[in-house]
Amino acid sequence: MPRASDISRSLDRLGLTRDRRRIVYAYLAAITLFVVGDIVHPGFARLDSVTAVLTVASFVGLVAVGQTFVVLVGGIDLSVPWVLNGAAILLVTTSLGRDSLSPYALLVTLGMGAAAGAVNGFAIAFLDVPAVVMTLAMDGIVEGLTLGLSGGMTCRACASYAPPVVQDAVHGSVFGVPAALILWFVVIVVVSFILSFTTFGRKAYAIGNNPLASYLAGVNVRLVTAFLYVLSGLFAALAGVLLVGFGGQASLGMGSPYLFQSIAAVVIGGVYMLGGRGHYLGVAAGAVTLVALVSVLLAMNMPDYGRNIIYGIVILLLLLLYGREEREE
Amino acid sequence: MSIEATVARPPTRIAYFLGQNAGLVLALSMLAIAIIVYCAVYWFAQAALPGNFEITSTVNNTMPLVLAGMGQAFVVMSRGLDLSVGGVIDLSNALAAVELHGDVARMVGWSALVLLIGAALGLVNGLLVGIGRLQPILVTLATLSVYQGLAIRVLPQPGGSIPPAYTSALVNPNQPYALGFVLLVGLVWWAFRRSRTGVSIIALGNDEMAARANGVDTVRARVTAFALSGFMSAAAGLFLAATATAGDATTGNGYTLTSIVAVVLGGMNLFGGRGSGIGVIAGAFVTTMIVNILFFSNIDPLYQSFYEGVFLVAVVVLSALIGGLLRRR
Amino acid sequence: MRPARDGISEPSRPAIEAIRLSKAFGGVRALDGASFSARRGEVHALVGENGAGKSTLIKLLGGRLRPDSGEVRVLGQAVELSGPSSAHKFGVWTVFQELTLLPWMTVAENLLILREPRGPLGFIDRRRMVEEARAILADMGVNGIDPRALIDDLSLAKRQTVEIARAIARKPDALLLDEPTSSLGESEVDWLFGLIHQLRAQAKCVIFTSHRWNEVAKIADRITIFRNGRDIGTFSEIDESHAVSLMTGQRLDARYPNRPPLEEARPMLEARGISGPGVIDVSLTLHAHEILGVGGLAGHGHRELFFSLFGARPTTGGEILIGGRRARMKSPRDAVRFGVALVPEDRKTEGLLLPMPVGVNLTLAVLRRISAIGVLRNGRERRLAGEMVDALNIRPPDLRHPVGTLSGGNQQKVLLARWLLADSRIVLLYDVTRGVDIATKHEIYDLTMRLAGEGRAVLIYSSDAEELAHLCHRVLVMREGRIAAELEAPGVTAEDIVSAAVREPSVVD
Repeated sequence: MPRASDISRSLDRLGLTRDRRRIVYAYLAAITLFVVGDIVHPGFARLDSVTAVLTVASFVGLVAVGQTFVVLVGGIDLSVPWVLNGAAILLVTTSLGRDSLSPYALLVTLGMGAAAGAVNGFAIAFLDVPAVVMTLAMDGIVEGLTLGLSGGMTCRACASYAPPVVQDAVHGSVFGVPAALILWFVVIVVVSFILSFTTFGRKAYAIGNNPLASYLAGVNVRLVTAFLYVLSGLFAALAGVLLVGFGGQASLGMGSPYLFQSIAAVVIGGVYMLGGRGHYLGVAAGAVTLVALVSVLLAMNMPDYGRNIIYGIVILLLLLLYGREEREE
Repeated sequence: MSIEATVARPPTRIAYFLGQNAGLVLALSMLAIAIIVYCAVYWFAQAALPGNFEITSTVNNTMPLVLAGMGQAFVVMSRGLDLSVGGVIDLSNALAAVELHGDVARMVGWSALVLLIGAALGLVNGLLVGIGRLQPILVTLATLSVYQGLAIRVLPQPGGSIPPAYTSALVNPNQPYALGFVLLVGLVWWAFRRSRTGVSIIALGNDEMAARANGVDTVRARVTAFALSGFMSAAAGLFLAATATAGDATTGNGYTLTSIVAVVLGGMNLFGGRGSGIGVIAGAFVTTMIVNILFFSNIDPLYQSFYEGVFLVAVVVLSALIGGLLRRR
Repeated sequence: MRPARDGISEPSRPAIEAIRLSKAFGGVRALDGASFSARRGEVHALVGENGAGKSTLIKLLGGRLRPDSGEVRVLGQAVELSGPSSAHKFGVWTVFQELTLLPWMTVAENLLILREPRGPLGFIDRRRMVEEARAILADMGVNGIDPRALIDDLSLAKRQTVEIARAIARKPDALLLDEPTSSLGESEVDWLFGLIHQLRAQAKCVIFTSHRWNEVAKIADRITIFRNGRDIGTFSEIDESHAVSLMTGQRLDARYPNRPPLEEARPMLEARGISGPGVIDVSLTLHAHEILGVGGLAGHGHRELFFSLFGARPTTGGEILIGGRRARMKSPRDAVRFGVALVPEDRKTEGLLLPMPVGVNLTLAVLRRISAIGVLRNGRERRLAGEMVDALNIRPPDLRHPVGTLSGGNQQKVLLARWLLADSRIVLLYDVTRGVDIATKHEIYDLTMRLAGEGRAVLIYSSDAEELAHLCHRVLVMREGRIAAELEAPGVTAEDIVSAAVREPSVVD
């Protein structure tokens, strides 16, 4: 029986390094889930069903972009739920459902996300506040501001709809492919490019691997780290915009599932929690795997509690799977 | 590290205490200030000082956080983080609502059983982290989901009822007898610091390799830290149920992050190895004081999270600054 | 050299033996079938250059590492050591070079860990713990350390003292010390040697490593010489030049390349009155073509000085002039812009990104040169990195290999190459030959000479005073953050450097 380390070494020689293998596993996991889902609930792997899953996964995927960026440097963003929620509410109340106001509304909304990220980044990179603490506090800050300024969603503007242009952008389709998926595809390409082929991406990986060595090699560790949090806030806000475009109206609590899901997608995608290793390509697959899992469970009419339990157990199994490879090497 | 100048006068015991316990001193000072501010705000609002009722309800409401915070402290000291705190509280709360009735023997027996279950749930975390070598954040995030699911299974809808006798014993509504439990938790910390288990966990958080070279069983220490956290979280769930006099399988969720807040406000370093559990108890009370202060200052309750978030960041930044100044002396 | 002791203890059964031990790290053989044996009641020194394998041997005997092949025997019995604690069970206590103190706990807690005195209820009695610690320290003649002090607040010398005191307090049958005097002052060294004498009188076995000849001569009964991972011979009497030639395998003067001539005294970097944490009023001038050395005991401000000159540490006073003009360096980025390079000591934690490919590590400081508008140019990167790999003979010559799989010597070359690519005019080398095999060391010496020969200014710190004596045109000796002496070559010896370094107030009376 060949040892896992022998198998790993052979795969290494084929160019499939451990990090690349993780990405492949993530895609395999997603495909497996569709197959299993189809067995359990025939029709699950039909095109329209797969498309629906992918569309929902795109929202998780967007939030996971930011999470990927900050986890790569060993951080985490716990402010995602309310930055997302706040952005959604900000969009509807600023645009009042009107297309004419939408450019301004989008600017303000995405700006809010970037600003929240900037405060996070500044405190974490320049004031040495632990990421867990700062982003947690920011989540509360944005929650308080959102609830306070909107009167708990009782303000007159709060019941507005998202501007039609945004709604159409999310619901529309190009050559039969949903616009949301096309947007996600563009994001995947852009983010992957940034990570693999730009000096910014190189610096991010360097910082995640060894911040001191990067600093001593002349990399501006603090600035790059802070900017990664800005990006995280930006993408969380973007996800909020698309979500409210998808659903039409904003509601309280719409952001909370996305924290766990974005982190889980990052982990399944093979990104190393302590930073320095991983790629968004894997995270995208992780998001799909996650949403597919939930959908399968829903399709099986599993009650709420069962979904939670299976969710957690599947994550643990995946962790143990990755973990074993790490340990034997 | 530093160049030692000849010391003219050896530092006194007080000097050592202050230098090595800066976090605790800060936490206690913060508590004192918070109490004073609370009394002042209360006076302006009610033209009287807080009376027996306010003190009792404050202590009763803080009990779950004191316990959850102490449990989190054990894990943080070992350089870990326990995100499943909320899930264990939920499950404990649910079990209490369903099973706590009948005679004293039954209630005592079930309480003990719930505590043991909590310890077992923590043990699962500990084994996955200690022996499985998985990241604490990821493991406990997954088990959080599982435990929450189990809690909902036990108690799908809020309900059940806690016998008044039980409530009186734990969180007496008329007199602040619960302070006795607070004292007990303080004693638990005192004993922890002076036990082999405690020393092992603290050594582990200092430097895992050095601890092992010194003969510390680091795997056992890590597992024990998580088991203790589970035990304390289960206790917190019992107190929560007693305070609410009914059961709810979801009210524990917020305690995950607030337990981390209590640890941070208590001056404990999130990287482990140093800090005081007494500070964490103070941190828990500071958290409740903030809520009280906000309430009596007539601040719009919708903005509560905002102030809590700002407060958390301010405390961390200020204590880092003050700590830096103190150490340079 | 002390003559071999006779009659005090039975030399029949050796206390500790190494039987053909081998250990390799990622393709580099640190130990290659090394053997030696030490007796009870003897002080046995293991001598050799940096990289000869002495530290690895101590780690194997002390249980910190497991050998690839060979045996460790205690009192004639083969033992399998799964960790330092299993070595403790055999009465073998080790003071490793990397201290195993717990930084956020007190001296007392560290001294008595897992053996703390208990009160009536079974809980640790902290007051008694402090008293016991005080007694232990007093018993051993240590006076300047308060048991209530936090380890993190102590200087390196005091920490090393605590670690030594802890090992001896355990009443070892065999005491292993790896470079125990590296940061101790003169009277502290005397204190340690006093304790070693006591142990010998009690028929215990003491093994220590050193590359300082005068210490070895003072205290060792026998010495075993190591070179390239093998034992060369065990002697109870040997003179220094013979020993040195065995350690290096060459004649003394053939070891080091010739220094380049000092053509012009053009100052390239001038530091005036640099002060900061750990550095007090340091002034120095680096000239083109010059190799300036900085020596002294570890922990006396060298690291802080180098980092300050690189903009990596804040200074509270003084200024730096580069090319005659005031240079404000607030971060390494500024330093790089001014043409300064720093090759740090610990390549694993301060220099390299271990899991990342050699190519990435090589080009980390010159990202702008291998990119256009932020986008990496793969071709250019591969070309530049490939040139460096060829020029410095880095093995294996595959740019995609994670740099962590390379040998220590090749890793060091990657680090040096990074700064060669950056075309730095002022090069700060911090202990770059530590843990490097002898062949690579010579390559690094040659490279250093070439750098200076090409007109660059080189500042070197080395823990090996011999190196400084032979490589540098001038040597500055630091003591407690200040420049204590300036020695001009030729004619500087290692002894000169060490004696200028050791006089300082210490913890022992």
